[in-house]
Amino acid sequence: MTITAQAVRRDAVKVSRRRGGGITPPWLFAVPALLVYALVMLYPSIVGAGSAFTDWSGVGDARSFVGIDNFKQLFSDDQALGALRNTLLLTVAIVVVQNGIGLLLALGVHTGIKSRMVLRVIFFAPVVVSPVMVSFLWKYVYNPAPDAGLNAALNAIGLGSLRQDWLGNPSLAIWSVAFTVIWQCAGYSMVIFLAGLEGVPAELHESAMVDGAGTVARFRHITWPLLAPAVTINVMLSTVGGLTLFTQIIAMTNGGPGYATDTLSTVLYKQAFVFGKFGYSTAVALVLAIFVAAVSFIQIGYLRSRETSA
Amino acid sequence: MALEQSVSRRRLLQLMGGAAAVGTLAACGGGNGGSSSSGGTLKVIGAGSQEAGLRKALDDYKKAHSDFDFNLSFSPADQLQTALRAQLAAGNAPDLHAVYPGNGSAMSMVQLSKANLLADLSSQSWTQKIPTGFKGAFQQDGKTFIFSPGTSVLGAIYNKKAFATAGVEIPATWSELLSVCDKLKKKGIVPIALGAQTPWVTQLIDYALVPGTVYAKTPDFDDKMIAGSASFADSGWADAMDKYLELQKKGFFNDNPNGTTYEQATSMVGTGKAAMAIQVSAVLQAFRAAAPSPDDLGMFPFPATDVAADNWIPGGVVVGIAVSAKSKKAEQAKKFIEYCGQPEVVNAWAEAVACVPVYSDGDAKVDPVLTSFLPYLKDNKAVPFMDQRWPNAEVQPTHFAVVQELLGGKTTVQGALKKMDEAYRKSA
Repeated sequence: MTITAQAVRRDAVKVSRRRGGGITPPWLFAVPALLVYALVMLYPSIVGAGSAFTDWSGVGDARSFVGIDNFKQLFSDDQALGALRNTLLLTVAIVVVQNGIGLLLALGVHTGIKSRMVLRVIFFAPVVVSPVMVSFLWKYVYNPAPDAGLNAALNAIGLGSLRQDWLGNPSLAIWSVAFTVIWQCAGYSMVIFLAGLEGVPAELHESAMVDGAGTVARFRHITWPLLAPAVTINVMLSTVGGLTLFTQIIAMTNGGPGYATDTLSTVLYKQAFVFGKFGYSTAVALVLAIFVAAVSFIQIGYLRSRETSA
Repeated sequence: MALEQSVSRRRLLQLMGGAAAVGTLAACGGGNGGSSSSGGTLKVIGAGSQEAGLRKALDDYKKAHSDFDFNLSFSPADQLQTALRAQLAAGNAPDLHAVYPGNGSAMSMVQLSKANLLADLSSQSWTQKIPTGFKGAFQQDGKTFIFSPGTSVLGAIYNKKAFATAGVEIPATWSELLSVCDKLKKKGIVPIALGAQTPWVTQLIDYALVPGTVYAKTPDFDDKMIAGSASFADSGWADAMDKYLELQKKGFFNDNPNGTTYEQATSMVGTGKAAMAIQVSAVLQAFRAAAPSPDDLGMFPFPATDVAADNWIPGGVVVGIAVSAKSKKAEQAKKFIEYCGQPEVVNAWAEAVACVPVYSDGDAKVDPVLTSFLPYLKDNKAVPFMDQRWPNAEVQPTHFAVVQELLGGKTTVQGALKKMDEAYRKSA
């Protein structure tokens, strides 16, 4: 036993102990995972990115190098620029409203009300449904006929004058899609905020109450600052989700009417699979990836600094 | 004081616990339940609209050939563009798959044969029977690459009871059509059901009108477009789109066509809530399924002008099948296509999908509701579906989008046609 233990100690790769108590494993241990990652993620991504500089149709072997023509086209393409505008509008709407509602829901079910556990499940339920299913469900709700779906409900409560062509009106369709996404994902934000709220020490609130702080003051000076990590995660996730939104749009409007709900993701899909322009599509994908990375980087930098100051 | 106790991100993630993880997996997971083909069987992927004919041909062939088996699945038109095209790109295409005739789509015969993805069928005897006027739909550079059972016509599918209620007859001219629509509307019946939220439906009214407004006067319009001496904006396409909008402005469509789907429009005509839908004959079965009785429905050529002689019809070769050039069972697949080329199989398939057989041995049974279209085919007054001669896969989706924009009031006819011209001039 002693010999074995000595041998192990002799051959063991150095490990260091961290102040926090855990050990830092040697990089060697990560090699198998890194190899798989390189093979499954990095290699295909790099090879795929190469297509952005070609005119490949997506099928067959014929392709020629076109330099940065695809990128030049992207920045002069009205459809792509319109899609960029739609992407940003959707992202802002989703980040602000989804997280706002998520926070309100979390605060609501973090109270002592009896049905809080049931409400948590109800609010979170849409998250576990496939986005495609949710999209088809809402497509039914958005039926423009006056006697169907949401329009029928508005009629029934005497608000028939508010009936709309929810997905067919080019000015309204994008907000209808945004509402569907928010409806589905607000519960997800709620769970993250709820986790943050669970970590706020109750004694802080108690002592603040003793000092005479009201509900608003306690939220502003205790809860909100302590929720900073939850805000960081929620904002990050919803931003990336908004910038790469695809499923709900394809299922509900296919980017229409016209180009009214096209996003960068649907444009790159259509360029690749409908127009047969895989090279150009890859250029859109590359720009989207860089854009998402840049936004996320800036965002996390700001939000982390907010956590530190808190 | 207490703010130093802020929750760390690590702790927060721990607190989030399993529920969020489950949610993430459920929401983000995308199980696709892929299909697999058993060994020795022919893998076949067809278009939804060809199901009745293709399935019957495969079943009949299997009965006659005990060593033959197949694994068959179908995709709606839009999914063919993605699922099948991705398989083609990855080099694992099914042995036999749906291909659109002519050019104009990413899954068209010309686009795929140019990429060397389709097997040459020219040596098969049935290819000699393809009528000269249809060769462009089947052949590229003199080689035949697809089999298709026949031609589908495009016109107005109408509900006979709705017409009887309004006391109207089948119109023969554009003015008569407007009058019929007016009478139907006054009876509280939607004259024309339009499900323009479904992209491919948007094109059908233009397709029904341009044979009259463009091709009757300029039969070589496609050649002129290819030569660059014509454009959509300076042609009868503008008349066609003006007429499309006229129907909308007069309230002859259902409310909110951009928010209405093909399925909803089909149901409206089947139940008599609407009187007509401009559609291809290949979808007649879907309309019949939506009606209390199949005999409630009929079909007539949609009049585009007030000069009866100028009212040509659109009639295009329907979606066909082709053998993947990379198939290891190419010989087996080719034998099946050779079987499909026999006149009796062509007839049976054509009857199943309500189209007119591409050639016949004289025993062809054409769906009775199509008889009013046959004289046009005989007199060469049928124009292939316009996209089949467009040079790239971008014009057709652009057409879908600009029609939705027109219906939504977001563009003008000239703006819409300018976009189509721009898409047309892009390289193939």
